[in-house]
Amino acid sequence: MRNSLGALLAIGLAGLQFMAVLAVVFSSYVTSERALLDHARDLLSDVGTNTIEHSRGFLSPARGAAELSARLAQDRVIASDVPELLEQLLFQQLQLAPQFAGVYHGSEDGGFVYVMRADASAPGPFRTKIIRVRGDSRNTELIWRDNEFNVIERRFDPEDTYDPRTRPWYKRARDQLTTIWTDPYIFFSSQQPGITLASPVMDGTDTVRGIVGVDIEISAISDFLARLRIGSTGRALIIHQNGDVIAHPNKELLKTKDADGTLRFVDITQFEDPIARAAFSGLKANGVVPTPTETLSQFSYGGETYVSVIMPPISEHLPWTIAAYALESDFTEVIKQNRLQNIWIAAIVAAVTGLLGLALANYIYKPVRAFAVRSALIAQGEIDPSEPSPKTYEELDNANRTLMQQIARRRETEMEFGQTFALSSRGMAQIDAGSGRFLRVNHKFCEITGYSEEELERMTFADLADPSDPPFLLPAADTGATPQEINHEMRCLRHDGTAIWTMVNAILSFNQEGRPLHFVLTMDDISHAKRAEEQITELSKDLSNLSRDNTMGQMAAGLAHELNQPLTAIAQNADSALFAIDQMAVADPELRHTLEEIADQSMRAGEIIKALRGFIRRDEGMKTAFDLPELVQQTRRLVMAEARVAGIAVLCETGPLPPVNANRIQIAQVLVNLMRNAIEAVAESGQAGGQAGGQVRVTASVEDGCVRVAVTDTGPGVDPEITLFSEFETTKVNGMGLGLSICKSIVEANGGRLWHEPAPEAGATFLFTVALATA
Amino acid sequence: MTDRLSVVYVVDDDQDIRSSLSRALGQRGFDVRPYDSAAEFLDGYDAETAGCVVLDYGMPGMNGLELQAELNRRGSPLAIIFITGHGGVPESVQAMKGGAVDFLEKPFRQPVLVERIEAALEIAEDRHAAMAQQREILARLARLTAREEELVEMMMANPAEVSSKELGNQLGISPRTIDHHRARILEKLEVRSLVELVDLVKRVEGAGPMLP
Repeated sequence: MRNSLGALLAIGLAGLQFMAVLAVVFSSYVTSERALLDHARDLLSDVGTNTIEHSRGFLSPARGAAELSARLAQDRVIASDVPELLEQLLFQQLQLAPQFAGVYHGSEDGGFVYVMRADASAPGPFRTKIIRVRGDSRNTELIWRDNEFNVIERRFDPEDTYDPRTRPWYKRARDQLTTIWTDPYIFFSSQQPGITLASPVMDGTDTVRGIVGVDIEISAISDFLARLRIGSTGRALIIHQNGDVIAHPNKELLKTKDADGTLRFVDITQFEDPIARAAFSGLKANGVVPTPTETLSQFSYGGETYVSVIMPPISEHLPWTIAAYALESDFTEVIKQNRLQNIWIAAIVAAVTGLLGLALANYIYKPVRAFAVRSALIAQGEIDPSEPSPKTYEELDNANRTLMQQIARRRETEMEFGQTFALSSRGMAQIDAGSGRFLRVNHKFCEITGYSEEELERMTFADLADPSDPPFLLPAADTGATPQEINHEMRCLRHDGTAIWTMVNAILSFNQEGRPLHFVLTMDDISHAKRAEEQITELSKDLSNLSRDNTMGQMAAGLAHELNQPLTAIAQNADSALFAIDQMAVADPELRHTLEEIADQSMRAGEIIKALRGFIRRDEGMKTAFDLPELVQQTRRLVMAEARVAGIAVLCETGPLPPVNANRIQIAQVLVNLMRNAIEAVAESGQAGGQAGGQVRVTASVEDGCVRVAVTDTGPGVDPEITLFSEFETTKVNGMGLGLSICKSIVEANGGRLWHEPAPEAGATFLFTVALATA
Repeated sequence: MTDRLSVVYVVDDDQDIRSSLSRALGQRGFDVRPYDSAAEFLDGYDAETAGCVVLDYGMPGMNGLELQAELNRRGSPLAIIFITGHGGVPESVQAMKGGAVDFLEKPFRQPVLVERIEAALEIAEDRHAAMAQQREILARLARLTAREEELVEMMMANPAEVSSKELGNQLGISPRTIDHHRARILEKLEVRSLVELVDLVKRVEGAGPMLP
């Protein structure tokens, strides 16, 4: 199937722009989605990074402070065994870092100096606890101070049994001989979450003299997290490697009370923030909470889509994982709205540009369509190819011109053929090669056959043939050896039942595959020519009969004349003798009888000759009225063969004449004889060929109530020594000398005259007259 | 009738015919003059003597019919008997139309021929006599002067009004002069009355130019 240019253009232009719009929309959809997610991830990542930095920044002073204190003690810059000095140092350290909850030093002997921030109900903002150990005795002093290190209140606590050496931080730092960080826990005193950093104070190389510790409250981290804005509902939290949630914007959620009343952190799997629980419970299920790399993921909760990020642990000492989540829609809502808007815009743009595309396609296609419509109309003959074509493309215009020329030429040819067919003076028919049925016939064909066009279209060619003739069939179309052209003389039965002779010429045409299509048949009615031919043949036959008869008759007549002469002499002489005997006195009766016999026998011989002549002349008087010029033409055809051989032109200039009354065949004999004589005379004189050469001319005119026919030749003329028209006298080698005398007697028998005149220039003219047929 | 002066011409190209006929007719006392062609005959025949011509119908050169036509043209009173070896009805018809007195088909018996010749000679002599008379009348008419001839013509044209007075009025001359002319005319023409004059002139009217 061919594609329509119009459809292709429409699909092409509208479709292409639609695809382009779709591609832009889709790509922006995808890229915006990715940008969105990247943005979310970056945001969360930033949150994580910030939190990490914040936590580090929050915790690193503690380490600095603890290690500084440990080194000072170690280097005996301050005497760790002088609690007052130690207290002062620790107080300074505590004042430096607001996140420090307390700074302390425990010694191997069980002594302990502890400076801490007091709660609001205490007498001063700072409280110091000093445990002094002397041998087995110990005392515990509590000192409250203000910011200026002034003592506000001082008292002892005899009940105190605290021994630093039993505390986990002390043990771990002493065992590991390096600075250690404890896991976060809830401080007993402040009931705030925090961590403890412990650093050993060494004596010499390997002896531990005491441990310096720093308590850091990490609820400040939660405060920091609470200050972070992550979308509308996003949160960041810190999960310890054991699964405890140690920082969360909502600090209240962190703590829980065990059955024995001790506070502890809430595990992520039981955490009261359901979104966080949903997002990060999986971390613990995997066993190890910290992930080595930053991980961004998406999850659904409560029909909403969230994005989450998990940061790698802050440091070796702080195995904390910062986790953050946020509602995806916080980032994508605007973009999604924007995207919807974009889709609407794109759809409108697509529709508008699609319509424009269609309009453009239509604009481009319009001349093509007009061209196609015009071509179709021309093909159906509804408009003329010569009409000006609509404005169109140059290429189409060129094609159109070529096409129009071709169409015009084909039209012309078809019209010529059609006119030739319809107006032909010959009968023409188109016949189906297979069935022999008439497809189309022209007027002349109907005229020849006597059938109407409608009747013929229901007939086959074979129906026309005269059934009494051997059947002539057009060759079967499916035989391979079909001749292309057939000529045949055929007798047809006309509609009225009369038989006519026709000349049929059939040409078989083939289609491109070589299969026979139809016969184009031309038919001529040759009955008239056939009749004329038959007439001439008959005339020729009659003439040869007549010629024989005439020759015999003329011979008889000639003989009669010749014989009658001596017979007359005999009869006269016998009678003379009889007369002489009668004059004698004595006459011998026997002699008289003999002479009588002689005279009688000569008379009897004369009678016999007369009877013979009468018998030969039996056809005298068969006169008919006929057209002399027609007879001249027919006789001319009889002598044409000889004339052609001799190269002599025979001209008949008779013109129309009234009918004459004579024996037609006898007159034909005269004409043939005279023409033949003329041809022979010219031929013998050696004038042959060409217009300048010899010719024989037959003319006829009406004169004195009869038609005078003249046969003139350009031969040598008649020798004056010759006696014309006498029997047995001839100049011809093969002649009997009867021709002219026969002609003469024929003409005279028909009441005319035959004579000779010398031709005006050279040659001879023989003339004879034939009586007109009087009405 | 052996004392007759009638001449019989035999015109035939056949020597045997000529000699046999000459012999036969000579025996019977005819003045036979044979000729072997029409041309020779025309050269030699005697126009002053009555006679008949036994003429062969078909001869080379000028044939019998043509000779007959020529003689008619010359006003010859010769009677013609055609003899023919062809003997056709058409030929005889043409011959008789041309004024031939008889037509004989060859061969023929002599008595028949003689009988026809005698009949022909009678016709020929009658013609000859009539011609001689005409000639004599013409000779008389030839004596007239021009004026007299004019008067004769006027009298012949209107025989009812031929008084001298009327004629004088027509010609513008006196009746006396007319009377004188009339007397001379009657004298010259050897007639006694106007009636005889009219009869005389009428006998030569229509005759061809016979005068030599």
